[in-house]
Amino acid sequence: MSARGRPRSLRLRHVCPSRWQQRRLLNHFISKAPEPTDEPTPAFSFTLAVKDNIATTTPPASTPTTTPTTTPTPPPPSPPPLPTTCASPFLAAYHSPFEATIVTQLRARGARLVGKTNLDEFGMGSHSTFSAAGAAAQTPAAGAAAGTQDPAVRLSAGGSSGGSAVAVADGAADVALGTDTGGSVRLPAAYCGVVGFKPSYGMLSRFGVVPYANSLDTVGLLARGVGRIRELVVGPGGLWSEHDARDPTSLSEAARRRCARGREGYAAGRAGEGPVGGVLRGVRFGMPLEYNIAELDPRIRDAWAATAKRLQDEFGARVVPVSLPTTRHALAAYYVIAPAEASSNLAKYDGVRYGARDEDAASDAAGGVLYAGSRGRGFGDEVKRRILLGSYTLSSEAMDNYFIQAQRVRRLVRRDFNRVFALDNPLHERETFELSELDESIAMEDKWGPEEVDFLLCPTAPTLAPKLERVLNQTPVDAYMNDVFTVPASLAGLPAISIPMPVASNAAGAMPEGPGTAGLQLIGQYWDDARLLSVAGAVSKTLQAADPGR
Amino acid sequence: MGRIPTAELGRYLLTGQLGRQGCLRGAGGRRFPTRHFASQIETSTSTSTSTSTSTALPPNADPAPPPTPLRKQLKEQARSLKASGKTKTKNADNQTVAGWELTVGIEIHAQLNTARKLFSAAATSVNDAANSHVALFDAAMPGAQPLFQPATLIPAVRAALALGCTVQRVSRFDRKHYFHWDQPAGYQITQYHAPLARGGRVVLRARDGIAGEDGAAVAVAIRQLQLEQDTAKTTAQPGGAHWLDLNRVGLPLVEIITAPEIRHPATAAALVRKVQMLLRSVDACVLGMEAGGLRADVNVSVRRAGEGGLGTRTEIKNLSSFRAVEDAVIAERDRQIAVLEAGGTVAGETRGWSLGSTETRRLRGKEGEVDYRYMPDPDLGPVVVGDDLVRHLGASMGALPDAELDQLVDGHGLSAKDALSLMLLDDGARIQYFYKVLDAVEARLGCAGDGTGGCQTQAGQRHALLAANWCLHELGKLTEISSDLGMTPDGECHVPSGDLAAILGHLHQREITAKVAKDLLWGVFRGDVAAGGVTQAIETGGLWFRELSEQEYAALADRVAHGEAKVLGDFLRFKQGRTKAYPQGKLMFLVGKMMRAGPEQQMDPASAEKVMRSRIEQVYVPGLEAEA
Repeated sequence: MSARGRPRSLRLRHVCPSRWQQRRLLNHFISKAPEPTDEPTPAFSFTLAVKDNIATTTPPASTPTTTPTTTPTPPPPSPPPLPTTCASPFLAAYHSPFEATIVTQLRARGARLVGKTNLDEFGMGSHSTFSAAGAAAQTPAAGAAAGTQDPAVRLSAGGSSGGSAVAVADGAADVALGTDTGGSVRLPAAYCGVVGFKPSYGMLSRFGVVPYANSLDTVGLLARGVGRIRELVVGPGGLWSEHDARDPTSLSEAARRRCARGREGYAAGRAGEGPVGGVLRGVRFGMPLEYNIAELDPRIRDAWAATAKRLQDEFGARVVPVSLPTTRHALAAYYVIAPAEASSNLAKYDGVRYGARDEDAASDAAGGVLYAGSRGRGFGDEVKRRILLGSYTLSSEAMDNYFIQAQRVRRLVRRDFNRVFALDNPLHERETFELSELDESIAMEDKWGPEEVDFLLCPTAPTLAPKLERVLNQTPVDAYMNDVFTVPASLAGLPAISIPMPVASNAAGAMPEGPGTAGLQLIGQYWDDARLLSVAGAVSKTLQAADPGR
Repeated sequence: MGRIPTAELGRYLLTGQLGRQGCLRGAGGRRFPTRHFASQIETSTSTSTSTSTSTALPPNADPAPPPTPLRKQLKEQARSLKASGKTKTKNADNQTVAGWELTVGIEIHAQLNTARKLFSAAATSVNDAANSHVALFDAAMPGAQPLFQPATLIPAVRAALALGCTVQRVSRFDRKHYFHWDQPAGYQITQYHAPLARGGRVVLRARDGIAGEDGAAVAVAIRQLQLEQDTAKTTAQPGGAHWLDLNRVGLPLVEIITAPEIRHPATAAALVRKVQMLLRSVDACVLGMEAGGLRADVNVSVRRAGEGGLGTRTEIKNLSSFRAVEDAVIAERDRQIAVLEAGGTVAGETRGWSLGSTETRRLRGKEGEVDYRYMPDPDLGPVVVGDDLVRHLGASMGALPDAELDQLVDGHGLSAKDALSLMLLDDGARIQYFYKVLDAVEARLGCAGDGTGGCQTQAGQRHALLAANWCLHELGKLTEISSDLGMTPDGECHVPSGDLAAILGHLHQREITAKVAKDLLWGVFRGDVAAGGVTQAIETGGLWFRELSEQEYAALADRVAHGEAKVLGDFLRFKQGRTKAYPQGKLMFLVGKMMRAGPEQQMDPASAEKVMRSRIEQVYVPGLEAEA
């Protein structure tokens, strides 16, 4: 139940079957489930990799359907349960006594757990480098260096769900679970060229997900195509309808039904399935002006613009510019709120029950500081940085200027979204907006204001996957910049998905070993997940068809 | 000491310092050290209807204290006080210091009466095996989440209503961060920014034991009442180890915060006592202060008389008895005044108090204060309490203690002291027991047994007094020898109320004597008399009161009076007008002799007195006159 024995921070890898050894450099798994040895694999329909901050236990021995002719064999010894380490020395040997609801739900839908994937410690990071198990990485998928083992050309897998993205990209798993707090599923998906989906806040149960920042955390899904995710979330018997009584932020059955009534795609009829053109015709996409920042890689900007043009010209979609003026403050607000909640959530790791106790430390008696030593040793640098940041912003003198302000910004971010989306947010009263507050560059549709949209279309990250070497030499604040496009949807609790978008290789060929894709992000109104997945699937198909590299 | 209303405080005050052992937590050690004194008090304070005579002292009535360290320590303190020429002032005489004004605000933490914890479905428990009621969230397992238990609102809202607070429609939960091993999550969930209820008022009357300087009544404002989690229980082990019991983690507490407007130490203690009584009366909390179910922190400041504003305050944490509240406030007030008079300044700091000490001690200063970094709990939504719930709970709350006390005193004719004792004993179960007994007695006697209608009459009052006397004093004597009554919250104990009512019914109708009644009580308590078998036991034991006839009484009187010429002479002198007062003492002396000489179980002292009196007037005195 609690930490057993000494922490094995340097020996986190538990099982490493030979098949994976050639990919050792990827370091995308922290622990792996043993390969099923016997042939009669039950009705597993897909393989599942789970980010290592989601609690897993050994599944209850599946009652084997023994036929009377076979001699009863003793049940095979159940494999050792996989630990849930969160890539932290504190939980190096932690075996959860219970399983996360989402894992149980996916097992019930035919998932076979293949392993627990690498991440930034407790989900805090953008490149999966702050891990007690060592940095995860990917090899370039395209170009001359594809499949190389050379550490110098390895690329960032993105973070914090980097291990999950790599596991999906290299085929180790069909579906991977990640957690998305400020883009931790979408960013690695964009870097690794896979699909990463962050659902509406409150749709998927967080019970069993080790919290980083509860008000932002969502369980996310990664796969190589949109279809698989769509099937699981909004297909028949989809996850969207399941309330979890153990998660107080999981929407009640009644609220789910109410939210779904105003949305398309949840009804039994598979609306939205059909020819790409049919799905996209008449859909209104907004291009947020504020996302066209100076730091945006020109290749991404070009691909973004080209995609928008194709959607409009060839598929009958509408593309209009929109303004989300609070975007520029969103990142700052995120890096106040998330560390504040993190500093609170991580208070339980004190060396008393988890991790190694600093035996030299003073007692807790007056003047002594029992926990400081243990916490100082037990956490990695990035986690310590965010705990300090959060502790400061919550302190009585800084609270008003940081935490409270950040919450106000958060409301404004949500308001921005509510203003541009045609659909109302079912969680809030309908607001009216002053036209005078609007950016002048926005074209009015009529005297009532600018055109409202169905989805926002924007890049997932401002750059392509950077080289790992470069990332390791970055300052922390540089790394925080990667989240600039993903954080707003997290602050507003909206569904968002990143799909691979091919980019042209540099004309000069300066980076032949670079990634071939960037991430294209679609953001929808709250609980519009079903239509978002349907439209994202269609957009994804148009991108594949247009891929210059294929 | 008439204004000190409760048996509990009475025991403290009348037994002096030794009585403080009585506020130690835990029921086991509670009565032993005070047993000897307690019996004396109860004897000397028996009401007029009490038929009790002085009870035999317990076998080990030797006043030499057992060698407990605390007691030894107290003795030594007393000795050193004596040696230094100072004697400890009685608290009642120490409520004010000339030239200074005291201001006290109190925070009271009380465990709510619920079946489940505040944020998990684990059961609440008091003395179950350690760590046997711990949900995943209670142990702060990574990935476990809080689940607010709405049932907690019932006692909490009742508590708020009993204290006159306005229940807020929306309240919220915040995390309060500090590191301690008794708190697995590293934070406590409380209601800092938006508490459950605000703006209450508690009226303290003289009978609640407020300082004489506060007059007949004083009102204390309740600023807010909030819900919060309790922490784990730590048990220190030899060798510096600490054992943790997570059963207590997450138990629901209410924290009640008063305005800083209490002016006297006794009033501070009275407030805590009154809050406890109010909470119990609405069934909002299970355990009293003496069992650790209620804890108080007091904020104390002083200022020179006539000055505006408040002085710097210090906080004294974790006071676990009413006496400790009063003593700690007095000690801290005196310390602050001494500091200021010496030209120093009072530092805002947290201080501690141990039982029996005369000074508070510094726990941590301002620089050591923890910044609690309050943050709204992101997993927990707001608590919305509908008006309908508040209305319903308000309507079903029953009478508040003050109303009940008025009814007992004015309606049933009990003394305020006895009424309060009944209400406070056994966590409020004793009064329920009293009502049951009274109803059963009245039913037996064929009166209207509704308790309110019948009791206005004189007969009704006599029944109530009889029942109260037995429920309080005679039942109390049982616990002096034996461990406990086994009183249940709904008012039943090892002496079933029906059996006590049977005894009292027979006693009231003079079918048995008081002595037989007491013996029967013991018999029922010990189990010698089966439940429901009181009348049967009287029958088989031949214990019916078959009173002597008047002739037999007269014969007995004659026998006793023989040779008592000197005593009888007093009656003659009274008759002749040579003494003014009737020699009642002499009469009772003769009656006593008569009672001893005759078959006691067939005699009633009143009848004996009546016969003796008439024999003296009609036979003996004329006889003496004739002789003279």
